[in-house]
Amino acid sequence: MTGPVALPSTLAVIERGWLSSNNVLFDDGDCASIVDTGYGTHALQTLQLVRAALGGRPLTRIVNTHMHADHVGGNAALQAEYGASISIPPGQADAVARWDEEALSYAPTGQYCPRFGYDTLLEPDSFVDLGRLAWQVVAAPGHDPNMVVLYNHDERILLSADALWEDGFGAIFPELEGKSGFAEERSVLEWIDRVQPRVVIPGHGPPFVEVAAALDRAQRRLDALEASPERNARSVARVMVKFWLLQVRSASMVDLTSHVAGSRYLKAINERYFADQTGTAVIERAVAELVAGGAAARHGDRIENLDD
Amino acid sequence: MSAASGLCEGCWRTIDEIVQWAGLSDVEKRAVWVEIDRRRDAA
Repeated sequence: MTGPVALPSTLAVIERGWLSSNNVLFDDGDCASIVDTGYGTHALQTLQLVRAALGGRPLTRIVNTHMHADHVGGNAALQAEYGASISIPPGQADAVARWDEEALSYAPTGQYCPRFGYDTLLEPDSFVDLGRLAWQVVAAPGHDPNMVVLYNHDERILLSADALWEDGFGAIFPELEGKSGFAEERSVLEWIDRVQPRVVIPGHGPPFVEVAAALDRAQRRLDALEASPERNARSVARVMVKFWLLQVRSASMVDLTSHVAGSRYLKAINERYFADQTGTAVIERAVAELVAGGAAARHGDRIENLDD
Repeated sequence: MSAASGLCEGCWRTIDEIVQWAGLSDVEKRAVWVEIDRRRDAA
């Protein structure tokens, strides 16, 4: 495909990388809304991007699909700049209100997220108006038990967050700690298959229209993960190393190991799946797998992030 | 973002280029890539 995906004129996608989620901006007439706000260390860039995209209109509403640090890290800065209200899924409302970094995953992943509060809740099956379109809030557990996605039935556009990407989906975190996540992800993929979106705007990567092919890839990946939860655990170890590399771009193996091995998720992976190995060995293997896949480079003791 | 160059330190694009990226055709994206390579080489 050579042209960009056709979207309603009231909707604009700012495609970010993998450290920050995409930001979807909606033109509400005199004002504007945004869905997801990127990672905290990118907040200044997010402000600049939003300012350039809004062309002087005020941002009045921030909507979040889930509370992971790469989706809500710009909330505080955008709210300080524009006074926008913040709407979040109900599942972690209490955790946000008391800023429980453990429950919100910032502590167990070792991720950074500036504190924010919320104003309203996105109840599943209710509708929110964004860009003069009505979006159904749909519960989408799997990657995160409390995540929601947004669906517009008229234009058949799905904001899929981390439930479906063009190639895969977000790591299934609940399974790491012995909770269910694969079955939930499967139900979400089945629901997407039933509603047959024309366009999917994922939380990461470009918008896409080849939805059936993406669902097929996602279902096969889910089959493989479910057949071997160890594979899921290894994939999460890679995600955690990669996420840290995206932030620091380059790190010594010692620094990388001490940061990642200290996180509770890595300890959970270690205890549950690789009890016969040290945390260092699990991280060494994650680094080797990233290097083999072209996502990192190793020069002696130094590990560098690779983007391409 | 680099204050001196006005470019993203990760992807070497301007704010406007990042804002517009998802709406560009493949041909237009390639034109930006040429510019990115030029900036990388010049740095």
